[in-house]
Amino acid sequence: MARRGRRAADGAAGVTAPVSTSPAVSFLPALGAQSGSADVPALRTATSLVVLAQSTYRSLTGLPAGGGDRANPVVRDLLSAATTELGDARDALSSATTGAGGRPQTAPDPVYSSVVAQALPTVRSPADVVGVALTLEDVLAQTLVADAAGLSTPALRATALRLGAAAASRKASLLIVSSLLSSAQSDLVVAPPDLTALPAAVGTVGFPDTRFPTSKASPPEEGSG
Amino acid sequence: MTLSSSRPSRRLVLGWGAAGLLGAGALAACSDEPPAAPAGPASGSTTPSTTTSARPAYVGDQRGVALCAALASLAASLYSGAVTAAGDGRLGQVPGVVTAFLSGAGAQHTEHAAAWNALLTAAGRPAVSGTPLSVETERRATLGRAAAPTDLLAVAVDIEASVGATVLARAGEFTDAGAAALAATVAPVAAMHGATAAFLLGRPTGVAPGPAGAALGPDALLV
Repeated sequence: MARRGRRAADGAAGVTAPVSTSPAVSFLPALGAQSGSADVPALRTATSLVVLAQSTYRSLTGLPAGGGDRANPVVRDLLSAATTELGDARDALSSATTGAGGRPQTAPDPVYSSVVAQALPTVRSPADVVGVALTLEDVLAQTLVADAAGLSTPALRATALRLGAAAASRKASLLIVSSLLSSAQSDLVVAPPDLTALPAAVGTVGFPDTRFPTSKASPPEEGSG
Repeated sequence: MTLSSSRPSRRLVLGWGAAGLLGAGALAACSDEPPAAPAGPASGSTTPSTTTSARPAYVGDQRGVALCAALASLAASLYSGAVTAAGDGRLGQVPGVVTAFLSGAGAQHTEHAAAWNALLTAAGRPAVSGTPLSVETERRATLGRAAAPTDLLAVAVDIEASVGATVLARAGEFTDAGAAALAATVAPVAAMHGATAAFLLGRPTGVAPGPAGAALGPDALLV
């Protein structure tokens, strides 16, 4: 997971900064400045991340800590639901790619494929499972949110935003679970949870940013090949 | 792999720049119209703050932005009311994790409202004052019927679903770059609030919202 945080350190002005109410110099290109031809690589890259996440979730489910005897039931359910949602996302992005005049991507993102390939053999615990999933959901959500502002048509932007919000939702759930597993409170990762036993910090750990960041979004060409 | 050098455009798209929105485009197109009347009290109030105006104060993208501003303000106000309810003993002992969630989500909605309003004022339009929405009275009444901490979380599920759906619907229509960029970074945060409420309710894979979780249309804005 070495790639996590790299783009966060890029210093992208304004992207992750707290919301300001003071107008600033505009950096914004006009909507549609990304031409229709640029839509296809962006959509294919987003699809490649979805393809990778879905296949990775299936792999994780096959591990003892993901879907086997060492699995946490909540984590197992999250993986299962995410796999279904990612299938829907793949269909939506493939349809959008076709509509934009491109060929749907079927291959996984090459950069994060290598990250996953290195990580999977090291997965031993539910916390490891959540760590891998969190990495993929984070980059997927950030990529789709970037697309939601950069694609050339309102319909494409709306599709990206809908799917990005779904990925963000999964990220939030994983952040909550991760916070408990990493603090040796796996007994609290149950449904329904014991609200009186949960640390207060769990109430906000799922939404760390006032505006969803995009500094780790994959570049449009990353998974378009 | 140098990600940072390969896609500068994405940083620019989502950078904060109020002038790009509502500035030279559709939002400023109506800047010669009269400002809206103040809409009344906002956060924490249990009194509806709706008002009506003889003519639309906001049109085009402005109307969508104003709707999102008003809804974010209403969400913040409802969360403020929920925190108050959590502390007054009427709901029994409210767990700290619930109160923390309500406070944290409410604070982010307050910032979202400010960001939406900043787009309007940068375009020469008045910020939305109060929470002038047709659903306000009903939403406050729903919160008032909460009888247990989990009721507060259920209200939160609907709040977040409505905010997310409303922003998503407007995002599909915005022609202004700033409005589209703000929508893109706000809607996912509402989704994360909703996921947190669902987790606390014991439904970590999600809760289907009720009718109050539907998107609001432009007609819901009463100014």
